[in-house]
Amino acid sequence: MQSAGNQDATACVATTVTDARALREQLNRAGYLADDDLATAVWLADALERPLLIEGDAGVGKTAVAQALATAQGAKLVRLQCFEGLDMAQAAYEWNYGRQLMTIRLQEGQRQLQDGDVFHRDFLLERPLLQAISQSGPCVLLIDEIDRADQAFEAFLLEVLSEYQITVPELGTLKATHIPQVILTSNGTRELSDALRRRCLYHYLDYPTLSREMAIVKSVLPQANSRLVEEAVAFVQRLRQEDLSKTPGIAETLDWIRALFQLKQTSVVQDIAVTLSTLGCLLKTQEDRFALSAERVRQLAEGGRSVGVAEKKQPVQHSTASQA
Amino acid sequence: MTGDSNASGLQATAPAQRLASFAVLLREHGLNVGIAEQQTMLKILLLVGVTQEKTLQAAWRAIACHSQREWRQWQDIYQRFWHPESVRGSVKVSGQTKSSRSLQQQVQAMHDDMESAQQPSAAKSAAQSAGEVPGFDQHNNGLGDSSERAMGGASRVEPLHSREGQMWLPQDLQALQLLARHITRQLKPRTTRRWQPDVHGRKLDMRLTLRRSVAWGGALVMPCWKASKTEPPRLFILVDVSRSMESHASLFLRVARAFALEASARIFVFHTSMIEVTPLMQRDSPAVQEKINAVTAGFGAGTRIAASLKAFARRDARAQLGSNARVWVMSDGFDTDEPQELAKALEGLTERGARISWFHPTREVPAAAALQQARHRIERFIPLASLADLKAAAHQLH
Repeated sequence: MQSAGNQDATACVATTVTDARALREQLNRAGYLADDDLATAVWLADALERPLLIEGDAGVGKTAVAQALATAQGAKLVRLQCFEGLDMAQAAYEWNYGRQLMTIRLQEGQRQLQDGDVFHRDFLLERPLLQAISQSGPCVLLIDEIDRADQAFEAFLLEVLSEYQITVPELGTLKATHIPQVILTSNGTRELSDALRRRCLYHYLDYPTLSREMAIVKSVLPQANSRLVEEAVAFVQRLRQEDLSKTPGIAETLDWIRALFQLKQTSVVQDIAVTLSTLGCLLKTQEDRFALSAERVRQLAEGGRSVGVAEKKQPVQHSTASQA
Repeated sequence: MTGDSNASGLQATAPAQRLASFAVLLREHGLNVGIAEQQTMLKILLLVGVTQEKTLQAAWRAIACHSQREWRQWQDIYQRFWHPESVRGSVKVSGQTKSSRSLQQQVQAMHDDMESAQQPSAAKSAAQSAGEVPGFDQHNNGLGDSSERAMGGASRVEPLHSREGQMWLPQDLQALQLLARHITRQLKPRTTRRWQPDVHGRKLDMRLTLRRSVAWGGALVMPCWKASKTEPPRLFILVDVSRSMESHASLFLRVARAFALEASARIFVFHTSMIEVTPLMQRDSPAVQEKINAVTAGFGAGTRIAASLKAFARRDARAQLGSNARVWVMSDGFDTDEPQELAKALEGLTERGARISWFHPTREVPAAAALQQARHRIERFIPLASLADLKAAAHQLH
């Protein structure tokens, strides 16, 4: 394939790959340590002008991707937080009825009003989707937790996501002058429609590997003791293998290490009582808290796992594999 | 893998042609890769180049995958197609389980078809014993394989073909579909605490009415109505395809398929591990039966019901198990995990509000120790050995 291309093609290849890498570095500088796959997906979404759907468990950093991308590119972040019952008036636009009525009253007796006098762009209250489409500069549109919105709302989104336009019956079709970078996130609480999925590029964001999570923590909390960070992250990694109803995410790891740091701990095993008392940062349900006995916490902190009556030391794998 | 090795693989034939073959393989595995996706993949290939394989693979993955299940499948499919040498000797099952047929075999298949056409009743019996809907392409049967051993309960060779009482006629399949539709309608939707605008609602939506009235200067000329919002139940069907279920799994898979189409149920099969087969069940293509054979290739292995249920709760349906979830387990209950583990696994489901029904192929509730210990976690036991059993149990499924 490459043989068919010329030097221009080679230059093009170099440029595009550098772009993906450059984007990764930009994200890193913005405080988000993305792996190659994620950086490529984000870059591709931009290059193809397609929305990017990111799925994954809560707390793995889906929303943070959009925030970091906006910061990295100096773009405006427009966020639409989805919820049950979200409708077009809250997501796209609504007529400013009060202002329309005032205009009608002011014009009374002066001249015959036309539709265009009150159905004008000035009378339109812009909600996040229209705001994103109306931007004249770079913009990142974050449609957060799309799975919480109703299916009917998904159908409405199709036009926005495929054509980057919104049709207002009284005005016509409003097209984006500058295509926004759209990132949708989902926790998978319900199945999204195939139509929506097919309009998006897809990335599944898994929990980070040990090495990546350690790098994230060190980047966010550079002042924390290295030994503490390593032990705490290894502990959380082991904890995720337990049968928990709410698996701790990266945000929980950061909270916990911050708490241990504030309590002047230099190691997870230094004082098990302190470790136990701060576990609320990681375990967010009573059921999980109850399921994890002090003895089990000690085993996890020391890197051991119980097999029958024997206890084995579990070496921590410093994986450098990608998150996926 | 180096870029060079990949380059040689890609340059062996025209890139577009190789990519088209790859897209076919992806489609066979249930990925929705249409012409648009294929074109985008080709565009990226030309843009990135074959030497940047890691970037190329990440980009293709983002284009071709549309769900977590596909995301997890990707690596294996990709390696299998582009780097078969790296997976040589493994025992993983791919979608290409159908062996290619020689010309002689194809001619034989044509003769079989002609004979079938002359003997409609016999043909129907044989074809429907494979569990397929009318119109199923018999060329894709794989009868020409040297091994006629069934790979799964859905095979047309064994065990159904040779068993009395398990022949499926088109009218049986139609009856099953109608029954599934009837049962689906019976499944009670959950009334949520939310309200939604509804022109037929019986309660005045005051907020929306007032909001609308602004357009008429505050005059309440257009009342808005609302009704309580309901959610249809989420149905999960878990089918045991271990050796002990060899003669029953075909029926269960047919039932599961009927509900996948009628109730949008998510279907999983398990033996020592669990895998989702919903996309295959929802598709009405000639390749479906082959795919089902592929995923049920664990026949002959043991059963780890408890471990599979835990994986289901933890990985596959993690965010969707709630008070609206109905979990139908279709199994004889014989488990190689510790007996108490099944109760724990079921507890994990019921704690989240899921309601569990257990379908067993025997008349009586299986005497398996694991199932006996977990009885209190199961809402109802339903014998299911035939269509008549499902019909008889219809009133219990709500």
